[in-house]
Amino acid sequence: MKQITKYPLVLLFAAFIAVLSVLDMFVSRREFSEMENRYLQLKPTFTVKSLMNGKYTSTYETYINDQFVLRDNWISLKSRTEYLIGKQENNSVVYGKDHYMFDKLDRLDEERIKQNLSNVKEFFTRYSDTPATFAVIPNSYAVLSDKLPYGLALVDQFAYIDKWYAEVGGTGAATLSLKESLLEHKDNYIYYMTDHHWTTYGAYLAYSDYVRSRGMEPVEYDSLTANEVKGFYGTYFSKSKLFNAVPDIITWMDIPTTSVTIDGGTTIFDSNKQEVPVTGLYWQDKFETRDKYAAFLYGNNGVTVIQSENNRYHSEGKTSRILVIKDSYGNSMVPYLTYNYDEVVVLDLRAIPFNMSEFMAENEFDEILLLYNFKNFSEDINFTRLKY
Amino acid sequence: MVFSSLLFLFRFMPVAFLLYYITPRRFKNLMILLLSLVFYSWGEPKYFPIMIASILCDYFCGRLIEANRSKKWVCKLGLIISVVFNIGMLMFFKYSNFFIENFNAATGLSIGLLKLTLPLGISFYTFQTLSYTIDVYRGDVKAETNIIDFGAFVCLFPQLIAGPIVKYTDINRELKTRTINLPQIQEGIRWFIFGLGKKVLIANNIGSLWDEVQRLGFTNVSTPLAWMGILAFSLQIYFDFSGYSLMAIGLGKMLGFDFPQNFNLPYISKSMTEFWRRWHMTLGSWFREYVYIPLGGNRKGKARMYLNLFIVWAATGFWHGASWNFLLWGVFFAVLLIVEKAWLLPHLNRGKVWPHVYAVALLLISWAIFAITDLSQLGVFLQKLFAFDGGVDWVYYLRGYLITIVVAIFCSTPAVEKLYQKFKDVEWIDICVLALILVLSVAYLVDATYNPFLYFRF
Repeated sequence: MKQITKYPLVLLFAAFIAVLSVLDMFVSRREFSEMENRYLQLKPTFTVKSLMNGKYTSTYETYINDQFVLRDNWISLKSRTEYLIGKQENNSVVYGKDHYMFDKLDRLDEERIKQNLSNVKEFFTRYSDTPATFAVIPNSYAVLSDKLPYGLALVDQFAYIDKWYAEVGGTGAATLSLKESLLEHKDNYIYYMTDHHWTTYGAYLAYSDYVRSRGMEPVEYDSLTANEVKGFYGTYFSKSKLFNAVPDIITWMDIPTTSVTIDGGTTIFDSNKQEVPVTGLYWQDKFETRDKYAAFLYGNNGVTVIQSENNRYHSEGKTSRILVIKDSYGNSMVPYLTYNYDEVVVLDLRAIPFNMSEFMAENEFDEILLLYNFKNFSEDINFTRLKY
Repeated sequence: MVFSSLLFLFRFMPVAFLLYYITPRRFKNLMILLLSLVFYSWGEPKYFPIMIASILCDYFCGRLIEANRSKKWVCKLGLIISVVFNIGMLMFFKYSNFFIENFNAATGLSIGLLKLTLPLGISFYTFQTLSYTIDVYRGDVKAETNIIDFGAFVCLFPQLIAGPIVKYTDINRELKTRTINLPQIQEGIRWFIFGLGKKVLIANNIGSLWDEVQRLGFTNVSTPLAWMGILAFSLQIYFDFSGYSLMAIGLGKMLGFDFPQNFNLPYISKSMTEFWRRWHMTLGSWFREYVYIPLGGNRKGKARMYLNLFIVWAATGFWHGASWNFLLWGVFFAVLLIVEKAWLLPHLNRGKVWPHVYAVALLLISWAIFAITDLSQLGVFLQKLFAFDGGVDWVYYLRGYLITIVVAIFCSTPAVEKLYQKFKDVEWIDICVLALILVLSVAYLVDATYNPFLYFRF
């Protein structure tokens, strides 16, 4: 045993493996990774059946990886190494100029798009009595294309949007081009650097375009009271885990409401199944967590009904109502609409528990806005719900 | 279980080696057998019985032959049972769906495909056990009488799932008596870490470039990017495979075994003939010993030698996977090897630079055949390689992969070995290099966005 000091490699290797193994076995387990913004695998329960079909062992491997001691530090070490060897992406997130990160969207599922377009067209045709608008929000790289690394060819979103608009326009629904105003303001921090969403200002631009297309004037941006939340590391960061990412700033507006209900109630359940009261347009607690964007409209819920006295176009004895069918991009845009409509009904196809046709039969709207971001429109599988 | 996983490094390995080292000498092989069965069954417990059947079949065939040396027909019977069993299993699990598909295509019938997953490492361990029975039959080695020792040989975990193909005669002495000492363990750890680094730091990193090219679609990429992609795949498969072999050799050393070398800088070859002496050497020597030479080798005239080469390389190709492209890949080499044998080889050996260009270019093309299972896609890809299609997409990927490619190419040459030899004796540098490789490998395993196991077809 004395001679082991002559073999430092054996000693160090054994120590490295042993120490990490033991630490790893006794280190406390995390249910959720703030850094990656996702739930981590916990130890699977053993059953003979899950062993025999291979599920137990594969889950167990994920568990070992997810719970590995000092996981976040190892990830950061990898990210630094990748940076040194010149990698410009990780996990389908591309590192652009000025600390921007982008989705590496270089292929589209044409079949999915065809189905989604056909569902949307069918919906607009069926409810052609109500004025409807179809708006697709380009994702950040399309607008901020000069920040992309040279040579990286991604999907040409504007070309696709034009094509989609031409097709949907045939149903009589209006189409709203957001390209011009977003491009015009591309230097005004309209997209987050570390998140896939647009900023509250980016959303404002789209809101202005929309209400103008409906013959109204938008509320002035500067007339609203803005609040800032710093230190926002969004979804792109959670995916790429880039060690030197620069955090974003989230802005939210003081916008009064008289009533906000979510799926008919005034409370929702958080991830720990605790009941949380709905007190306005923003879930303030979420601003304290990693997933700050989820503060807007309390995340993606089935139907949110917002009533306020903000409407500058209010006419006595009438309640103007707009239906917004949206994905998460809509959440930060909807608050502005209260200045142009008495009641804003926000619907997320991914979370509704009822049939669309029943809903449309029971409710009457003055306008319908279908607002989706490009990537989501090309990938989402919930548009079939428009049919039923 | 694979070596390049946290589960292996921080669960299986410490426990396995601790148990192995504290086990008294005469039970060590039993311990190896048990550990190997756990290692093998992890993930696919249903193939445990196949492993056991394989051990039993070849063990009894060996004993049968040994006990009836004087009765030729019994020896033959023992050999035939073993060959039919091993080849039969390989055929059934690996090739039945291929044959059904092609039979259906040829006859217009629609026989249902079998729902089979290929038992891990079946191509490797059937070849190992086959070599054993054949060697016993030939009288090259005595049959193993101890079933524990034999079981330990068949499922020895370091080389079980991705080689090297260790023949019984390579380690039969070590199965009985082997020395386990610190210098050897140290050497083993060194090889293991180098192997891990080759797989996790180089192969995985560069492999994602080929993945990108496939994802983008061969029609959509530019010609330079297509070449970069196939270069990346060539480097990936080399570093992945040789890294895996190196880890196996290292682990073998830590257990007290000396496994044969499996890769010897194949990409510095000047001919295909040389390449196959440097690439997957244990497979090449297996085919030479058990197929090529029994077929007559080069002793029965030129025409027969060419035919033998053709057979051996078609079989080698087919061994890599049950699909036409692998067969084509084997035939591609068969043709080149025949051309070299007939005429080209002396010229290649005399040349300085051009033989390297020749070898690398043809190897890149051979890897395209290997990597692209769909033959029509292969056509698209080859067309992309040779009909120039401009574009700037490669700039982005070159920037992201240049350093990895340069490092990989450097590590494919003898230069890296020379450099290492210079510093190897300065102990602290040696340790720092190894520590860096190990720590970075762990970091890459923790955040493993891309860590494929390439031999699921083998």
